[in-house]
Amino acid sequence: MSNYIPTIGVEVHVELKTKTKIFSNARNGYGQMANSLTNVIDLGYPGTLPTLNEEVINLAIRAATICNCKIQKVMHFDRKNYFYPDIPKNYQITQNDTPIGYDGYVEITKENGETKKVFIEEMHIEEDTCKSAHRKDKTLLDFNRAGVPLIEIVTKPCMSSGEEVKLYLEKLRELLSFGDISDCKIEEGSMRADVNVSIRKEEKDPLGVKAEIKNIGSISNAKLGVEKEIERQTKIYDRGETFKPQTRRFDDKVNDTILMRVKETGNDYRYFPEPDIPYVVITEEMIEEAKKGIPMLPDERRKKYTEKGILEANANKLVQNRSLSDFFNTLLEEEIDFKVASNILLGDISAYLNREEKEITETNLTKERFIELVKVYQEGTITSKNLKEMLDTILESKDSIQDIMKEIGIENISDDSELRNIIKEILKKNPESVSDYQNGHDRAIKFLMGQVMKETKGKANPRLANDILLEELKG
Amino acid sequence: MEDKLTREEVLHVANLARIKLTEEEIEKYQVELKKLLTDVEKINEVEGYDDDILIACWDQNTELRKDVEGEMLDPKQVVENAPRHAGNYIEVPVVIGESEGA
Repeated sequence: MSNYIPTIGVEVHVELKTKTKIFSNARNGYGQMANSLTNVIDLGYPGTLPTLNEEVINLAIRAATICNCKIQKVMHFDRKNYFYPDIPKNYQITQNDTPIGYDGYVEITKENGETKKVFIEEMHIEEDTCKSAHRKDKTLLDFNRAGVPLIEIVTKPCMSSGEEVKLYLEKLRELLSFGDISDCKIEEGSMRADVNVSIRKEEKDPLGVKAEIKNIGSISNAKLGVEKEIERQTKIYDRGETFKPQTRRFDDKVNDTILMRVKETGNDYRYFPEPDIPYVVITEEMIEEAKKGIPMLPDERRKKYTEKGILEANANKLVQNRSLSDFFNTLLEEEIDFKVASNILLGDISAYLNREEKEITETNLTKERFIELVKVYQEGTITSKNLKEMLDTILESKDSIQDIMKEIGIENISDDSELRNIIKEILKKNPESVSDYQNGHDRAIKFLMGQVMKETKGKANPRLANDILLEELKG
Repeated sequence: MEDKLTREEVLHVANLARIKLTEEEIEKYQVELKKLLTDVEKINEVEGYDDDILIACWDQNTELRKDVEGEMLDPKQVVENAPRHAGNYIEVPVVIGESEGA
């Protein structure tokens, strides 16, 4: 196969996390009984008029800001006309002339550490259509999704591999979900991606024939779909043939793209300004207000965590769990050992959360109790074994850490003189180990610690015991 | 300038409108649609038309609605208002192909 230069652009639709729909006050919800979340506006009844939801504008400004877009100062909506039962008005209200955001970028970091800006052409607001299910002899419509607010984010044709597409989609999902703009759940359709792929021989050549890949079910499939499509187009050109612009879908069962339809003619949507919604003026106050609502974004979180001495891999893991990361953020001003804190959160606590399928906010762990837990662990009052024993109770009850320690019988011998007497006895009984240690065999100390634990039935405070042991051996 | 549209142009418009035309109608619309277009094109003669398009009949800003849930329709009512339904779904004749919208 010859080498061609791929050119890829991506269009992403995300559903905004509002309480109500874009043009009606019906609930914006998912997974409810069919046609239970509608009103006359969503169904396009005659004589109804749309009223624009202020939170849609707020979240769209937020998204545009996060994606480094310029923001339109005066905008309007347009009607996109087409006949299809998923939109009973026969037009979709969208933005064609004045997208709320334009000329932005999202930065991706490739595996080799190199960064690349993925340029955003424009970001516009529109209404979602109803959901149709095709049966053999009929089509069934559910209008719960009709009128759910969407933003569509269109990149410039500036990516050149499936890997870049994957990185862009991951980054966008991270930004929009941490920005509290969208749930970005691909499997529930709250984030949907279409990818345009073409290839050409050389940089100076015009862009090749475009194939659009729709219905991509996951980010990894987007990468695979692009790679398979580049392969398919390469083979066609290598045979000296060509193809018509077309829409395809990626089928993960056959691991290839499949033809949906050939685009014989250009789309003819006869856009015109939506007369039912006059101009929307975006004021500086609205922009400031939207910016204030942006929570700490992933890159800043990672930076803060590594500054606190947390390993980069752990910082990344923390950021992957939003609620865990939010919890961790509440600790940033505290005087605690952040390494220990992150290890406990990502270790035993994460294991519990995964097992119970819970978020940390659904447990009884408060900031104060966690700080106490980190303290007793760091001081060695409890061992990692103790921690495992106590953890379910810590997360499920509201008892203090001290009470839980007593309840499960962790009575650490933290009394210096009591422990010192026990250790002195052990050293007397094991003269060979003592001389081994003194002759430079560090391993002997492990044996002696074992004896201390055996003698105290595991109740000695390990750190204190270790300190006393060293003192006595040196003394 | 031709004084009528081509057959293909008329058929394209008919397809967008999802209507079927008879041979006589095609011929009739070739002339009538052309006349309509010519009349509408007159608007281009107005100076400054493109600069400041008025999209609404008043110049006030859009009043935004608070994001507060209101009353919704009873799903039973919704489906019963449609010509046909199957359970809680509105039923329409089978549609081939994908949505062209969002």
